[in-house]
Amino acid sequence: MVELTRTSALTGTGLRKVHWGRLASRAVIYAALTAGGLAMIFPFLWMLSTSFQSAGALLVPPPQLIPSPIELGNYAEIASAFPLWRFLLNSLGVAAVATTLQIATSAMAGYAFARLRFRGRDALFLLYIATLMVPLQVTILPLFVEMKYLGLVDSYGALVLPSIASAFGTFLLRQAFLGLPRELEEAAFMDGAGHLTVFRRIVLPLALPAIATLAVFSFVASWNSFLWPLIIVNSPDLMTLPVGLSNLQGRYATAWNLLMAGSTVAVVPILIVYVIGQKYVIRGVTLSGLKG
Amino acid sequence: MRPLSRALVAFAATAIVAGACTGATSSPSASTGDASPSGSAPSASSPAEPVTLTYFTFSAVPDHLADLDAIVQAFEQKNPNISIEVQTAAYADYFTKLQTQVASGSAPDTFELNYENSVSYANSGALLDLSPLAAADASFDPAVYYPKAYEVFQADGVQFGVPAHFSDVLLFYNKDLFDAAGVAYPDASWTWEDERAAAEKLTDKATGVWGDFQPIQFFEFYKVLAQNGGSFFNADKTASTFNDAKGVEAAEWLIGKLDKTMPSDAFGPDQDSALFKSGKLGMWHTGIWMFSALKDTPFTWDVSVEPGNVTKAHQFFANAVVASTATEHPAEAWAWLRFLTSSKEAVETRLAASWELPAVADQSLFGSYLSQTPPDNREAVFDALSNIVTPPVIEQQSQMQDIVTQALEKARLGQLSVQDALNEAATQVDALLQ
Repeated sequence: MVELTRTSALTGTGLRKVHWGRLASRAVIYAALTAGGLAMIFPFLWMLSTSFQSAGALLVPPPQLIPSPIELGNYAEIASAFPLWRFLLNSLGVAAVATTLQIATSAMAGYAFARLRFRGRDALFLLYIATLMVPLQVTILPLFVEMKYLGLVDSYGALVLPSIASAFGTFLLRQAFLGLPRELEEAAFMDGAGHLTVFRRIVLPLALPAIATLAVFSFVASWNSFLWPLIIVNSPDLMTLPVGLSNLQGRYATAWNLLMAGSTVAVVPILIVYVIGQKYVIRGVTLSGLKG
Repeated sequence: MRPLSRALVAFAATAIVAGACTGATSSPSASTGDASPSGSAPSASSPAEPVTLTYFTFSAVPDHLADLDAIVQAFEQKNPNISIEVQTAAYADYFTKLQTQVASGSAPDTFELNYENSVSYANSGALLDLSPLAAADASFDPAVYYPKAYEVFQADGVQFGVPAHFSDVLLFYNKDLFDAAGVAYPDASWTWEDERAAAEKLTDKATGVWGDFQPIQFFEFYKVLAQNGGSFFNADKTASTFNDAKGVEAAEWLIGKLDKTMPSDAFGPDQDSALFKSGKLGMWHTGIWMFSALKDTPFTWDVSVEPGNVTKAHQFFANAVVASTATEHPAEAWAWLRFLTSSKEAVETRLAASWELPAVADQSLFGSYLSQTPPDNREAVFDALSNIVTPPVIEQQSQMQDIVTQALEKARLGQLSVQDALNEAATQVDALLQ
């Protein structure tokens, strides 16, 4: 200890200043990050807390973050009074199928836009990307009419079909494919491989991080999707979780504790997907999305 | 290649942001539906042929699905050839879905509309004229409905809906708090001044007790405006008049309560009901739909007709059930609508479940409803009907409601003076009238 102080005294005040300065700036950064983190997690904690409160306790001001007594019955009540598991399965099924198909179509389209040469390719790509500008609300009516003529209103098909082709996914994967070294593919072509082989054996495995990113985005988008499932599905048997949960809201009063119990159940699968895909999301975006 | 990619990245990023921004604000635009006012005569033919009718409703979830089911079963028993397929959505999402269905020509055969929204649906030609069906139905008498409720769903000689249920707004009060403060209970003779005096005596900030709570939004404003002798529009409905001296006084009556007798931090969802239920609120302007939720409070409470100022006025919320012009079964749809709104079975089911009030005229049917307590003064529900005002309606109803509510919010938060806020809203509402 004595040695240490002496050394630092010997090395002079300049160094010590730098040391303190760095410590201070680090403290500021940590404080800001902690505050940001708390602000982000607070709504989740609030949801969790509400889901364990009794209806009566919720109404006593001031609101309590730690429920007392802890009410476990909300989860049982919502599962029994309400086809929660059915909604959960619907959501999972729709999200899984939509994600798989979206990756398949995006990867193939992305490969075509990145590697095949044909007339008007870039113009076509630009046009396709431009559809990102059109919000869902604008296309929802024609889409509904389309489903009507296909006879798919109120079906699983209608829940999945509109999301299997994605301009965003195509863009993301095209950028990822462009970032791969062409030499590998050229070597494969030399050895007599066709586009299909190159696509399957070389491009896809190399672009796995980008594909994982897309999988997370696509799954989350499908999971959170509300407007389209609300409009296209009528029977309770086909409802996804967000639509089912919205039925818990009354016009004049809402049982918030039950709604929050349902919402907590709804968040769990997303958390799992994020934990698994987290590192790919960050790497994938930096790798492909923002490469100049 | 490089500049192109960079441009694309920037482009896509903007696209995503733009998409996200519009997502919050825009709603699907409803094009006008089939505009032919088809008065297709009731085809009483082939009653044996099985018919499925869809019925879309917002008032059944989350608490009254079983009650609706009971009414449906009673109907199907009497009409074995008709089966009713119920579709539900929460009120907040209902109209989004309905607009899409109507605009794409897949409207449900029968559905529910609140009075405020019914006008624009009727004007767009989406609603079947029920008059010929009613006229052809020998056993039907319009007098079965509460007259005012039947009339509001008429326009230009067309009966575009039948009243399903109604509700009004009363002054709820916590008797224990009144007793503790030594204040006389509200009665029909009360004016704003009496309410203000009582609220001041009831308010005790040290114990967190507030005297009064009245929401500050469109629906309260149009009512206090009427209580103050003002009117929302001029006579021929070409311009707003709610920003005149009477309107300003009415808005100031609401906003002047803030922090004096009314908490300024209780405007979130359900916060006012939490305050009342916890026994910390003396008076509360709210709807009779709160009766069942307040059944088990540990204190005693009652209701009174609302205090007036220049005159008395009560809000009147009526919901109609309607049939779509696109329905292939108008006669069956009429039979269902009639049963749903006025049959003995439906009326009894609704009353037993406190599922709003059926809009039927025969007061004797309400015996079981009136004998329930609390509140002791349940008659106030019907007393209020003697001076009701329906909300002002225009075609772009939801925009108008939002404009007025947002202006009042600006005044509430002190961002604008009451006069400036109302002027701003009047200009915007006038633009909607063009």
